[in-house]
Amino acid sequence: MARDRQTGEDYVRPIRRLLVGLLLLGLVGTFVLWRIDSPRVERFRAEVTDRLVPRLDWMMAPVTGLVNMAMDFQSYQRIHEQNQELRRELQRMSAWREAALQLEQENAKLLDLNNVRLDPQLTYITGVVMADSGSPFRQSVLLNVGGRDGVLDGWPAMDGIGLVGRISGTGQSTSRVILLTDTSSRIPVTIQPSGQHAILAGDNTIYPPIDFLENPDLVRPGDRVVSSGDGGLFPPDLLVGTVTMGTDRRLRIRLAADYERLEFLRVLRSHEAEAITDPGKLIVPEPRELFGPPAPGLPADSAGLEAADG
Amino acid sequence: MADTAVLSVWMGRLTFLCLALVLVFLRLLPLDTLPPGWAGPDLLLAAVLVWTVRRPRLVPVALVAAVFLLTDLLFQRPPGLQAAAVVVATEMLRRRHARLRSGGFAQEWLAVSVAIAGVILAPRLALLVTLVPPAPLPLTLMQVLATMLAYPAVALVAQIIFGVARTARGTADSRRIGA
Repeated sequence: MARDRQTGEDYVRPIRRLLVGLLLLGLVGTFVLWRIDSPRVERFRAEVTDRLVPRLDWMMAPVTGLVNMAMDFQSYQRIHEQNQELRRELQRMSAWREAALQLEQENAKLLDLNNVRLDPQLTYITGVVMADSGSPFRQSVLLNVGGRDGVLDGWPAMDGIGLVGRISGTGQSTSRVILLTDTSSRIPVTIQPSGQHAILAGDNTIYPPIDFLENPDLVRPGDRVVSSGDGGLFPPDLLVGTVTMGTDRRLRIRLAADYERLEFLRVLRSHEAEAITDPGKLIVPEPRELFGPPAPGLPADSAGLEAADG
Repeated sequence: MADTAVLSVWMGRLTFLCLALVLVFLRLLPLDTLPPGWAGPDLLLAAVLVWTVRRPRLVPVALVAAVFLLTDLLFQRPPGLQAAAVVVATEMLRRRHARLRSGGFAQEWLAVSVAIAGVILAPRLALLVTLVPPAPLPLTLMQVLATMLAYPAVALVAQIIFGVARTARGTADSRRIGA
């Protein structure tokens, strides 16, 4: 038997070498293909993830739950104390809630009086975090909502409070959220109250720095940071966090979302922002008074005009 | 006799595949979504190298390529790049496998450490050449170091739980040539 293998080797070895070479070529080819035609390969990646990870879910959820329970065990020891504390806090909060309700009503009344039209299109889908990126270099999570639920690339994801990231890669039943802390994440933001525009650039730390800030003197630690809606990337005015000063004297952002425990994320259905491309015409076309549905024989350009008027 | 040997080889491959899948699964668990200040060892890489040095027949090159291509896809790495690096490294170790076996553990560790550094740093070089922004360098170096340091522990676990010992002992061990 040993002799068999010995003689077999003489022709097996070159063939094997050839096969290994072909395998290597295939792998490097995949990388080159990814470099050239990234969207196609990324779609393939999303497809693979979509097929594989939901099948592991039956095991993933209980294991994650168990580990989290073990981590929480210390906090159970002082649960009574915590309970008391929460009760006191709740009392204080209920007063605030009353005030907030009154303010909400007042706000609605004022909006109505002024005939303000807020963006009514922000609805959301809530997804459960199934898996993370599995690598210390990439900050992303996998949600259990995907193309089946109408999720599209580029939509923002929030936890209950603040922005968490954006959808990048959707499969049939999963979608990947690139977190704001990822090194490839760049989000246009506005800093309130000064109204300065800047870019929030993730750098793999929990306090991402602010880039391209026009006038840093106008920005103080503690200022609110919201998404600016520049470039039609995100809907404006989603809370991102507050400005802080890092230990390296750089302005950074303390994110409002609780990154420590991302469990449920809201994916906002953000419709494509309408851009004003027309510079405006010198001669204003004659306004037509049209009420009701357009006549069937109306030419296309006047139908467009009507839409622009309304 | 031949049948049982073939069967044991296939059982070994299956065991390794299961171990690889469990390691992938553990890394995908969404336990910690904070960006880490440090990078842990790449246990899957260490395990593959342990098996390559000690039982090359149980980790055929196609299995290695498939597992690492899968992790490339799942862990958001450039697909195929690290898989190619791992295939090259395991092939080189496979060829030196008889010599490594006759040397001491220190020699094995050294060879594996070089392989680890190559596997993690070579893709970085390729990314620089192709103008893709690579991962932060300090974290990468930390991962190289951590994986090197974790190698003896992984080897110990492999020896105790999976019986992948250094010294030639069983029938599967006495084969000289990797599959």
